[in-house]
Amino acid sequence: MEVDVKMTEVKSYSKLGEALAKGDFILTGELEPEKTCDLSHTIEEAKQIAPYVIAANVTDSPLGIVTINSMAATHLIQKATGLECVWQMTVRDVNKLGIAGMIMGAQALGIHNILSLTGDHTALGDMAESKPVFDLDSATLIKLVREMVDKGSINGYEIEDPPKLHVGGAANPNSEPMGPEILKIGRKAEAGCEFIQTQVVYDIDRTIEFLTGIRKYKVPILLGIFPMKSYGIAKGFDTFVPGVSVPKEILAKWKSVKKDVTDKKQKKELYDQYNYELFKPFVSELRKKNLIDGIHCMAVHYPRIFPKLKDIIGA
Amino acid sequence: MVVITTKKPEEEVFEALNNFKVKNVLVVSCGVCAALCQTGGSEGAEEWSAKLKERGFNVTNAIVSDDVCDNRVMKKDLRVIDEDVKKSDAILTLACGLGVQSIITVLSKTHPKIPVFTANNTEFIGETERIGRFYMRCQGCGQCLLNETGGICPITTCAKALMNGPCGGMVDGKCEVGNYEKDCGWVLIYNRLKELGRLDLFAKLRDPLDWSDIGHQREVVWR
Repeated sequence: MEVDVKMTEVKSYSKLGEALAKGDFILTGELEPEKTCDLSHTIEEAKQIAPYVIAANVTDSPLGIVTINSMAATHLIQKATGLECVWQMTVRDVNKLGIAGMIMGAQALGIHNILSLTGDHTALGDMAESKPVFDLDSATLIKLVREMVDKGSINGYEIEDPPKLHVGGAANPNSEPMGPEILKIGRKAEAGCEFIQTQVVYDIDRTIEFLTGIRKYKVPILLGIFPMKSYGIAKGFDTFVPGVSVPKEILAKWKSVKKDVTDKKQKKELYDQYNYELFKPFVSELRKKNLIDGIHCMAVHYPRIFPKLKDIIGA
Repeated sequence: MVVITTKKPEEEVFEALNNFKVKNVLVVSCGVCAALCQTGGSEGAEEWSAKLKERGFNVTNAIVSDDVCDNRVMKKDLRVIDEDVKKSDAILTLACGLGVQSIITVLSKTHPKIPVFTANNTEFIGETERIGRFYMRCQGCGQCLLNETGGICPITTCAKALMNGPCGGMVDGKCEVGNYEKDCGWVLIYNRLKELGRLDLFAKLRDPLDWSDIGHQREVVWR
């Protein structure tokens, strides 16, 4: 099946936007600022992955656990490293009015990519008593961004110097049932979504089914992958991230490295090797079927895998 | 329609009364919604009268009213026992939050200095499965979507009240909030619309709720 999903939008406001417009196979990374005002660790990680990715996402209090504000972190990381970022913005904590103001603020701070997310519910996090906002949702935030950028207005009111951002959305191939999730991606496409980043997925058949289902919306798709740095990370990901489960046989394989290999260097090499063996055929098959336009690698705190990704994704 | 209430911890109620140095208490219990929720009715009136006496309060009277929230009913019922109202330092209502405010409104001219307290917490507008099983199914958003969502309300059945769900927190049709025990509202809507052969309605991109009128004091006044 040949589907041309290159963006028809000529204007590009960022390297990511430009690459999407050109139809390049894209590799993006992810940075996860923590509960600290000192971003030096994240900045260091950003420097390490910068040569290998076109941009990196900066997360917005994932799992509802409060971290440093994602817009501030995005700006500071970009400023310190020159690495272009994708500002993750959830609709969980700020109302429409507040988000519109933040979008203008982002432009003023030199942020030109935003990923629209619902966000994990406040009740799941470490400030559960906080009021959940959800004034917008992940589709209507996309619509808001596109109105501000393309029409230069908010609710019909003109913005003197409008923002220039590209907006993406998320998709979850693990979604069961799958039907509602596919139709939801259709809504995001209608709202003006410029790229889709998928949640991490390990089941190839399910992935093919899902991606085939959303391909008709003609939005470039970045497949979410999560090379696992250690057994602990794999187990934690499996346990705590809503909607994601790591297959038992993979967990067992990672567990065996933890249990059976004592030499630290050898352990690292083996984890890297297993990630290579896991993702190489996975990505290759999806590329062969023309179902993806790039990879979004969420391996936070695992910068050493990034030099190897080029080989894994065959870019 | 029932306004669902639950009992406040007793100590919280006594603390409120003591804080106002109350001695003589009139108990006004709701005979409708609160009776159904077992937070009012005649049983509640008896229970609270006994508790108050046990703690040394004097109960001037305890009445059960059909509609504590209806100013007209309350006016009539309180007029009948006006002598007891006069003897009371406070009124304790076993009703929803409307009960307290209705009594204050009704007594605003005749007894403006009598404080009114509640023994309950008001939870939500609820659907009743049976006594002891009540579910929030409407938040009174003033922009009812039910005609487009197969009769299932996303504002109340989706934990995030999303207009365009489901979100990534749905796993096997269940919601991330509450340890995946509750159904995802948007999957319920999907299944219902599928059954009705109207998934085109599910695919529709919906704008956010308009809060310009519902985000502040609300009233329906047509005469």
